[in-house]
Amino acid sequence: MPSFSLVTPTTVEAAIAELRTGAPGEVAVLAGGTDLVFDLDRAGPNLRRVLSLRCLPWRTLDWNGPVLTVGSTLPLRSLEEDPDVARRHPGLFQAIRAVGGVPLRHRATLGGNLGRAAPASDLLPVLLVLDAEVDVVGPSGSRSVSVDQFLLGSRRTTLARGELIRSVRFPEPRPSAYLWQRVRPANDISQVAVAAAFSPSDRHWRLAVGGIPPRAVRLPEAERALSSPDPTREELGSAAEHATHHLSIAADRRASEEYRRHLVGVLLERAVRSASARSLEAGRLDP
Amino acid sequence: MTNRPLSLTVNGKVRPLDGVPESERLLDTIRWRLGLRGTKEGCRSGECGACTVLVDGVSTLSCLTLSHEVDGSSLTTIEGMADDPVGHEVEEAFARAGALQCGYCTPGFVIALVGLLNERGRSASVDELLADLGGNLCRCTGYLSIARAVALLQKEGR
Repeated sequence: MPSFSLVTPTTVEAAIAELRTGAPGEVAVLAGGTDLVFDLDRAGPNLRRVLSLRCLPWRTLDWNGPVLTVGSTLPLRSLEEDPDVARRHPGLFQAIRAVGGVPLRHRATLGGNLGRAAPASDLLPVLLVLDAEVDVVGPSGSRSVSVDQFLLGSRRTTLARGELIRSVRFPEPRPSAYLWQRVRPANDISQVAVAAAFSPSDRHWRLAVGGIPPRAVRLPEAERALSSPDPTREELGSAAEHATHHLSIAADRRASEEYRRHLVGVLLERAVRSASARSLEAGRLDP
Repeated sequence: MTNRPLSLTVNGKVRPLDGVPESERLLDTIRWRLGLRGTKEGCRSGECGACTVLVDGVSTLSCLTLSHEVDGSSLTTIEGMADDPVGHEVEEAFARAGALQCGYCTPGFVIALVGLLNERGRSASVDELLADLGGNLCRCTGYLSIARAVALLQKEGR
């Protein structure tokens, strides 16, 4: 492993200043490290410092009415153990459970998932369908950006030099579901994953697909095929067909293009059915 | 690069360490500086669970953790399980169920299971525990006997 120094600032200001020091590419940001540490072995000679966020006050989880705000360095396991997360954001709960195994989730974070923007991240599709907002702090203050705009591609985000992810906000609880296909249930990477959520406020579905490079994407054509919280079989078939035909699907060592195309349709139908059942159940509970 | 001193409490004993590079992984510190070879290196990429240790009682993949990130923590490895009441019971259950063949994955399984029992309490269901052990790989295909060990433990432990 290349040699680097580990910097552990205790204030946000110091962290931002540290990021702005030295040449671009000289510093890497460390949250839980479950993705970054693996890559450090292959880091280029430019890497001189690793900036650890562990002393920043961002291991938080707050409910403010319907709005859930998750600090960027909260371990995923803490999010998973919050009973309200499982109840009010079932798709998010399923997606978290799909990340690694328990020991990995004790360190992995939401901020790390977003900042590293891995093409196969299990969290990004569900963040898309929940309209999650990324709260960013930097040299010129704070800004918020939707996950869709935050992600530029594989391993690329809109984070500018000196910026850090402070938290992620989920505007409203939504009946949601997250389903994946992969070789091993734990500690593996999804070949295809589909997230579905129904918004009770605007009465529209959100659908997203992940596991396919370069990044997780929404499926607007398929969304438009669904008209109610309880879509008909015809609507589901049409949504699945839109998704499989309009999506650009890459093959890699994890799955062929053909297999992925098949999976998108199957998982989409199942995810919508599952979220729809939760929607009806929620309707009975909170009329 | 400057290397700050590092202090870990390892299996109940304070172990100050000097000269640990800030880029060193906890797995390497445990095996090569502390000489505790019970913690195994499998994939070194977070896929197999062989390197699992407890950091302040919480199961952690030591291959994906920088040692200086856990400075000041209390570390428990497989060598510390004999002195841990739950750890001892888990080891006994593994031994009685014959839940090992080559044994390479066993320390990781034992530590991960002890971590789960710490978190969930002894009343956790066998299914729940097995699902949450999904991050540990056994390449001798010994999962059935490991499942028997968990069942044995939960039947007698409650």
